[in-house]
Amino acid sequence: MKKKVLAMILALAMGTAALSGCQTVTTEEAGETSTEPAAETAAAETGSADSMKGNGDKTINVFLYMQEHEKEIYKGLIEEFVAEHKDEIKEVVFEVTTQDEYNTKMIANMTANDMPDVFYVGPAGVRSFVDNGYILPLDDYVDAETIGKIWGTTQSIYRYDGTNVGEGSLYALPKDLSCFAFAYNADLFDAAGLEYPDPEKPYTYDEFIEVCKALTIDKDGDGEIDQWGVANANQFGMTPYLYSNGVQFLSDDMTKVNVANNEALKNALEFYTNLTLDGLTPSVDQDTALGGYQRWLDGQIGFYACGTWDVAAFMDQATFPYKWNLCGWPVGPDGDGRSHTWMGSVGYCVSKTTENPDLCAELIAKLSTDEDGQKAVSGITTGNSIQLPNISDLAYGEFLDAVNEGKLPFPSNVRVLFGYFEGDEHYAAALQETDYTYNSEWFTPFWSGVQNIQRGNISVADFLTEVEPEMQKALDNAIELQNSATN
Amino acid sequence: MAGSKKVKVKMSQMAKREERWAWLFIAPPFIGFMCFMAYPIVFALIVSCSRWTGINSLWGNLVGLRNYIEIFQDAKFWKAMVTTIIYMIGIPIGMILGMTIAMGLNRGIPGKRLLTTMYYVPVVSSLVAVSILWAWVFNYDYGLLNGIYKALTGAHGPNWLGDEHMIKVSMIIFMVWKGLGSSIILYLAGLQNIPRDYYEAAEIDGASGWQRFRNITLPLLSPVTFYILITSLIGGFQVFVEVQVMAASGGPNYSAATVVFYLYEKAFTNGQLGYGSAIAVILAIIIFMITALNFWGQNKWVNTDI
Repeated sequence: MKKKVLAMILALAMGTAALSGCQTVTTEEAGETSTEPAAETAAAETGSADSMKGNGDKTINVFLYMQEHEKEIYKGLIEEFVAEHKDEIKEVVFEVTTQDEYNTKMIANMTANDMPDVFYVGPAGVRSFVDNGYILPLDDYVDAETIGKIWGTTQSIYRYDGTNVGEGSLYALPKDLSCFAFAYNADLFDAAGLEYPDPEKPYTYDEFIEVCKALTIDKDGDGEIDQWGVANANQFGMTPYLYSNGVQFLSDDMTKVNVANNEALKNALEFYTNLTLDGLTPSVDQDTALGGYQRWLDGQIGFYACGTWDVAAFMDQATFPYKWNLCGWPVGPDGDGRSHTWMGSVGYCVSKTTENPDLCAELIAKLSTDEDGQKAVSGITTGNSIQLPNISDLAYGEFLDAVNEGKLPFPSNVRVLFGYFEGDEHYAAALQETDYTYNSEWFTPFWSGVQNIQRGNISVADFLTEVEPEMQKALDNAIELQNSATN
Repeated sequence: MAGSKKVKVKMSQMAKREERWAWLFIAPPFIGFMCFMAYPIVFALIVSCSRWTGINSLWGNLVGLRNYIEIFQDAKFWKAMVTTIIYMIGIPIGMILGMTIAMGLNRGIPGKRLLTTMYYVPVVSSLVAVSILWAWVFNYDYGLLNGIYKALTGAHGPNWLGDEHMIKVSMIIFMVWKGLGSSIILYLAGLQNIPRDYYEAAEIDGASGWQRFRNITLPLLSPVTFYILITSLIGGFQVFVEVQVMAASGGPNYSAATVVFYLYEKAFTNGQLGYGSAIAVILAIIIFMITALNFWGQNKWVNTDI
């Protein structure tokens, strides 16, 4: 009998040990309205959850992904929010995970019908989330003044009227807005005796080629090129060239792929692939050995893509020990004369099943537009920028002042980013077309075939004719999945 | 006796108590099997008959066998399947190398334990870590292999991971290297189980080394060979991590992608859980059929007598 009991205890212990890895770490904050909460959050590798308590009876679950340094700022905002509503709120559970795991966990929540109250939605997900009844329209909960503070672009990308994204009810407020700008290595320009690119006048395609030719050299004289004018930055670094030539892959209603008879696309793609064929970028083989990003960091590249999220790394002298600045992507002859790029964002939304829509909407408005919070994340008060301010007045005001006065490490041509965000006479940005379709599978055959052009295996015209049917099939599938929503 | 009825014996209290304890001990693995194996399998079968994306309704989007029909017409699926089968060229290579090295180690050479450990280290190493390592070994400009190639020939080596044919060779080399230790250990154990008498008797009868190998070693190692073959085939159909690490987008022109890689892409990158589940079901059926075929065929060549 004793042996059996011992065996059962051992078996239970083994089972418990095996399952213990499934838990996330949770800590509780002591105190109710402390202005300096002493939170001891143990950040587990796969996520963490903090609990902020009040005296009320309402619980809000917040589920996001972000990096540790961002989390501290947003945790502070949530603590303020709890303090402001301490008589209503019992607890706000702030759970953070990694970006890689976020989608999987959200799908698990959706399957289990156990949605958090506040979570993320990207512009690409708005249609699916709304059609499947997951998120709440915010029109009755967020006032026009709050909405009016944020960049005009982000006011529209989270709108949906049941048919078109960009119109109708507002479903999310931005956590951030980013875009894929262009950067140049000023030290290489100095060595070549070239004038820096004018942020008020982006290069044309032809001007860009001439500058790249001047920057593409054999530095060490061994007979092999070891410095290039520009490097490829995967598909996200290809589309700005194309958009800047007025290219649209899909019809206006996003149902038809239009690449085979698309003259603007043909010209732009020839320009892009000729950069490699003419040796102004590392070859396809060289790209597989060392990617463009690494070569840029190593000072081998004159121009490279720079997302708003790359700025901090490029400003760090240890990571990128060169003088650099922002500029516009080159402009093609078939477009509207402006430099175009794509933008991205992720937004806070409120679950349709939440029991506390007013509080949740107020919380996301705070996370998105609280001025002190935006000053912290943009680096105005911290000296370390995680993102650009969501509030356009703050961006043009204190943020720009901090950059110009040298208090905030940021490239001086920051107005290039503002131009892309808002659209002006030189710049414009928009969501990628893949953000308007259920998935980006229709774009994959296009991108994966570009290398064949860059290797000289196929002409652009033949490629576009060949790839269109495969792209259309995948798009039809995506449309069918998009329309498969049931409420 | 013929025609006698089976008499039901009433269990004693002690026997009943024993039986209850037996059920209690069986319960955890059984419940675990039901929760983590049986239920997911049944769920996957249902999902495979739907256009479920994880966001839309599963039950509102049942489509019968449509996913399966589309898969059989899907050129990318077949390309991934052919690639998966090509990778299995590494199985006989690994087995031959493993047997050869095991035979060498079995001769009682000095440093046998150290060598065995060294061969086994890749087996127990993290697949992700060694894949990253080998991605650098295969690097076109900075890799070890091309460095050696250039030192020996003066010419630039091939693009191991950037050429659609070479990438398959690279993957096979990596997979053989990764699994070699396991084959060696198993063959070594099998060799040490062969009685010395057989070899002595064969020597007395004048058998050559090759004859001894072919008529004694090979047949008596056949159970080990059978085990390695089965487990390698099952593992070979599920290759994923090394492709994801060394050829993130499936390689040039999708030349390195395996079936599981394609399944992952469909299910988790493109949000088509139903289609991905159908691929998983097809893969499971293929693996089952090949395993069953091997078990059926084992009587013809697997020698279990010693």
